[in-house]
Amino acid sequence: MRILIVEDDQDTLRFIAKGLEEAGHAVMLASDGTEGLYHAAGGGFDVVVVDRMLPGLDGLSLLKALRATGDATPVLMLTALGSIADRVNGLEAGADDYLVKPFAFSELSARINALGRRTHARIEARRLSVGDIVLDLDSRTVERGGRRVALQPREFSLLAELMRNPRRVVTRTMLLERVWDFDFDPKTNIVETHMSRLRSKLNAGFADNAIETVRGSGYMMRAG
Amino acid sequence: MGAMMLGKAWKTTTGLVAIVGLVFALAIVGIGAISYEVTHEALEQQLDHRISAETAGLLAEAHRHGLPAIASAIERREASRSTASLDYLLMDEAGNRVAGKLQAQVPSKVGFEEFLHYRKPGEPDPGIAQALTTKVAGGMLVVAADRSGLDEIDRTLAALFAAALAALLVVGAVAAGIIGWLTQHRLERIDATARAIIGGDFARRVPRDGSGSEFDRLAGTLNAMLDRIEGLMENLRQVSSDVAHDLRTPLTRLCSSLDQASQESDDQARSERLESARAQAAELLEIFSALLRIAEIEGMSERLPRERLDLSTLLERMAESYRPDFEDSGRSLHVVLVQEMQVEGDRRLLNQALANLLDNALRHTPAGTGVTISGERVKGGVKVTVADDGPGVPAQHRARLFDRFARAEAARSTPGHGLGLAMVRAIALAHGGHARILDDRHGFAVEIRVRG
Repeated sequence: MRILIVEDDQDTLRFIAKGLEEAGHAVMLASDGTEGLYHAAGGGFDVVVVDRMLPGLDGLSLLKALRATGDATPVLMLTALGSIADRVNGLEAGADDYLVKPFAFSELSARINALGRRTHARIEARRLSVGDIVLDLDSRTVERGGRRVALQPREFSLLAELMRNPRRVVTRTMLLERVWDFDFDPKTNIVETHMSRLRSKLNAGFADNAIETVRGSGYMMRAG
Repeated sequence: MGAMMLGKAWKTTTGLVAIVGLVFALAIVGIGAISYEVTHEALEQQLDHRISAETAGLLAEAHRHGLPAIASAIERREASRSTASLDYLLMDEAGNRVAGKLQAQVPSKVGFEEFLHYRKPGEPDPGIAQALTTKVAGGMLVVAADRSGLDEIDRTLAALFAAALAALLVVGAVAAGIIGWLTQHRLERIDATARAIIGGDFARRVPRDGSGSEFDRLAGTLNAMLDRIEGLMENLRQVSSDVAHDLRTPLTRLCSSLDQASQESDDQARSERLESARAQAAELLEIFSALLRIAEIEGMSERLPRERLDLSTLLERMAESYRPDFEDSGRSLHVVLVQEMQVEGDRRLLNQALANLLDNALRHTPAGTGVTISGERVKGGVKVTVADDGPGVPAQHRARLFDRFARAEAARSTPGHGLGLAMVRAIALAHGGHARILDDRHGFAVEIRVRG
């Protein structure tokens, strides 16, 4: 993917750029808002990563300016610790996702991958299918290998989120945000508990594990 | 220049009252001028009318009996003269006086003459009269009325208005001075308080007189603002001192872990030490982020992002999310709800408040404990209670539980930083409600109220 990173902190910039390049992405860097907007408006990026606080044009204004031109490139906004207002303002201004600093690289990478895919699949299918598992969002039913699997509502949402991102890592934080509406890390391992129940229901009678654990990152579903 | 001064005067109370006074004075001058003119004109017309009527009366006599009849009529009238009477002069065609005692030059023209100089009988000064000259068969008739009465009324009127104007100017000036002084005096209380606060006396408040006047209300608003600011400052001070006290120990531990790691020669042992230091740093980061979040929530009550949401759905989802962990650990989780509990709030923060309470229940109660989430509508909002039937918290520890880093003694051995309940309270306050620990029951129970 072609990724633009707009970030004024040189350490963070290097850390992100190095990781993304190693993962095989083409990365362009900008260290202030004006330069960032110039590159972003030029187009051709799959994902733009913007820091909320930037010298010159701040991240929020950059995002608004970009959206005002009708550009719909997925934008991931980086915000400082404990900024509830930034999260809301960012999403209102048209950010597709946000990540609170400091973050693990695996978290950023997973989110960028999830955003990049969106460009190609804007309209969500009502029927998701990964390998031998089929999930119907309208009838709220799941089948594996043609056999019906009964799930609790949270387990269903959890599986749906994983199936929206086949062959991509979905992190624990992403699951907490999207399945549970948590923007914090609870002391209780609700993700792990639900994952284990979901797995035991999905895998009953099958030899292979439908949901893979990616150590240190999150979970992933492989297509068969 | 004048407009600029007026523009500035307008802004001070004294200037404002002075301007109003001046406008009143100008109005008095205007009203005076008009009244004077109208009164004067009416009196003049009255005088003319009297002279015309008299002349017409005399002419009626002349019509029947000629000049001598007029002469005798004049003589009759002059014989019974009073001060308000008219003066007469009748002359033949040759210009000789036939009758009448009016001592004056005969006007050259027929008609009204407003200022006829004449000599008043028995007075040294010449008088001025209003006169009507009429041609009669065989001569001229002059009927004159003294104007001094009219002039006197004119002078009285003018004096009256001048006095009113002077009085108004004086009253206006005094009123401007007094109102200006009073306003300044009242504002001085606020000014003095503000200066005291600038000087460092943060506890000072504007004294109130309880009158409910606009100044009193302003003082009340200012005091409320000062209370809010002081609360926020206190909050800030509290956070700084909490951070200083409660983060020193973990920071020292982190420091010594890193020291030990750097001295470790064995690779395996060093990476274990580094991993432990990383975990300690992550924990510190978690404490910091929780502290910042509490401070942010406490500071943003008015700016809290709000949406309409049904708390019953939210609570049911929370219960559903936590039930597996409760069951796996040998506890139970029950939900007692009414449907449709609409509130205005931030879904994620409300989730967090609930999650913190459920996390606490999972960590600080023994296996076998039952926990109940109940929600009901109350006046002005919604009440949510998370209660357990565990051993509870001793009364002496309850009061401080909502403070940062406060932990009941029994909970010292279990993991946690003592920030969960502080956040619960901050979230409840930000939603226009409150959080409290219920005393009158077995076990531990926290009640949260949220404005609907």
